[in-house]
Amino acid sequence: MDTVIDTQNLVKQYGDLFAVDGFTFDVGKGTVASLLGPNGAGKTTTVEILEGLRRPTSGRASVLGFDVMRDYVKIRRRVGILPQDFEPFDRLTPMEALAYWGRLFNRRVTREDAKALLDSVSLSERGKVQGIRLSGGEKRKVGIAMSLVGEPELLFLDEPTTGLDPKARRDLWRLIRGMREAGRTVFLTTHYLEEAEQLADDVGIMHHGKLIVRGRPEDLVARSGLVTTIVLAGAGEAGLREVARRGIRAELHDGRDVLVRVADPAEMRSVLAKLSSIELDLKDMYTRRGTLEDVFLKLVGAKMDEGVLQE
Amino acid sequence: MNRILADVQAFGKQFLRSKIGAFFTFVFPILLILLFGALYSNPGSTSVSLPVQNLDGTPVSQTFLDMLNRTNLTKITMIPAGEDIQAYIKAHSLTLALYIPADFGQKIASNQTASVTLYGDTSQTTYGVAQGVLNAVIEQMNSYVRGSPPVVVMSSQSVVSSQFTFMDYFVPGIVAMTVMITAMYTMTSVCAEYRTRRYFKLLATTTLSKPEWLVSKILFYGVMTTLSLLVTVGVGIALWHVHVVIDPLSIVFILVGTFLFTSLGMLLGSAIKDPESSAAVANAIGFPMMFLSGTFWPITMMPDYIQALAQVLPLTYLNDGLRQAMVYGNMSLAAVDLGVLAVAGVAVFLIAARVMSWKER
Repeated sequence: MDTVIDTQNLVKQYGDLFAVDGFTFDVGKGTVASLLGPNGAGKTTTVEILEGLRRPTSGRASVLGFDVMRDYVKIRRRVGILPQDFEPFDRLTPMEALAYWGRLFNRRVTREDAKALLDSVSLSERGKVQGIRLSGGEKRKVGIAMSLVGEPELLFLDEPTTGLDPKARRDLWRLIRGMREAGRTVFLTTHYLEEAEQLADDVGIMHHGKLIVRGRPEDLVARSGLVTTIVLAGAGEAGLREVARRGIRAELHDGRDVLVRVADPAEMRSVLAKLSSIELDLKDMYTRRGTLEDVFLKLVGAKMDEGVLQE
Repeated sequence: MNRILADVQAFGKQFLRSKIGAFFTFVFPILLILLFGALYSNPGSTSVSLPVQNLDGTPVSQTFLDMLNRTNLTKITMIPAGEDIQAYIKAHSLTLALYIPADFGQKIASNQTASVTLYGDTSQTTYGVAQGVLNAVIEQMNSYVRGSPPVVVMSSQSVVSSQFTFMDYFVPGIVAMTVMITAMYTMTSVCAEYRTRRYFKLLATTTLSKPEWLVSKILFYGVMTTLSLLVTVGVGIALWHVHVVIDPLSIVFILVGTFLFTSLGMLLGSAIKDPESSAAVANAIGFPMMFLSGTFWPITMMPDYIQALAQVLPLTYLNDGLRQAMVYGNMSLAAVDLGVLAVAGVAVFLIAARVMSWKER
């Protein structure tokens, strides 16, 4: 598989702060790769180095075979970028913005082209409304459409679904999957664990500027020993004591639910048998497959809500 | 070139749709022309209102008042003879009043010295005007009474080839001021806004280069200020019959001035962190420059130290250059002004292009 992005020991330092600390990563052609992490983890700084918008303190990075510091002009012609803090031009309509953006990439965007682009992000109805009158989600969609104007081989999407409603988010996920099917490569940053799990072929979790783990979502879950969790809903502390007394490792979640993590599927039957023999006051009992959220919790030691760690 | 034109087109749409920029480029200069034209195009409107109490019933005092009237510089109204003049002044909050005593005519007839009293607020400029007019009339009257012809007379002769009015002087100043406001003020706020709203970073993700963006802005403002010149002068000619010409040199002045002030706006905008401060900074620089560089009145009317300061203000050279080109037709002086503007423009442009950064550090 061709490598589209390749970084080696990338460092970005501001005084004593390491915004990016020894980042090594590679992205294969035609895949969706995702950097996952809380706000301030270093995701945007990393992606902006790859976009040629920031200079790294040290290390090496290449995009589409070009050095990001030396050849960023060549890179720009072939990539599409949605910055994290994208704002459309207030007094241009989405149709006008797309025509303008196309010309900045030496590409003529006809009215039909612009309509098709807006249609792909479900914004064709609002094509003639000035940017200032668009909602937050609609503005984001304009940015995504603009990033597609140059028919890029590689797309950088920095937190593309932040601020979008659930339907718009799922529309965008569909769009990103379509890009992968069309052979394009997508590099996205997100703080939504579900988004990375749903979209990415390759996930890297960043924390304090470091890449702390990297791999396919299902592999990360498996490697973390979190294949399946048995949830004893409403068992509480009394339930936790009873379960522990039978030699089963468990933990209390939110003061209500007792979680029993089963790493090896072969153990599932015996664990369930033990649990069913215990008299517990339960509201419900069910199994849940391990997710990236569990991986994140295990590695970082905190949950994440809208990019903020819940310590 | 295609990218530059695309940027000019997109920026132009935003500029005209925002209305503020269009107001200061096209409407504001016309409002100033209308306002100042109404104030200065009618000489009668500059006369001083002079209330007079005349206690002398003789033809001598009447002749004196007729002479005052003929100057066209005073508009005489009468205070009733029965009033105490000082009480009357206080009651009517007058800043000027002339008192002619009852023995005025009799004293002159008997070759004695007659006197009149000018009451008023000496801090007001109208007092000085009235005093000057009265002195001139009294001098003329003394001359008549002595029966000898005046020894020295003064006549006015313009040094320019045609009879120019205040508006002829004023219109090029308004054109220069509009160039400064359109280019410098809006460019300062555009740069601050582009940085705050991350438009610079967004543009940095395209193939448009920073110099191309700068050239695009200069081209756009050049077109706007040239159109503003045509509109402003058109209104000046239609309403106030101003004697100005728009020749290729005046267009060159507009373009070079736009180049300089757009670059200056970029430089200021690069140094300012937020759009709110940009207006304050642009005003702090633009307003004094507007008043000190001969936009509204000649620099020679100002104290020496301000005249020296005016020599380092770029608007001084645009004001003077436009007047030389559009009104006086003095090409050699215009060439000096143009040279100063061009050199300053290139210097400021190079500094702005170096200082301005689209990328994050």
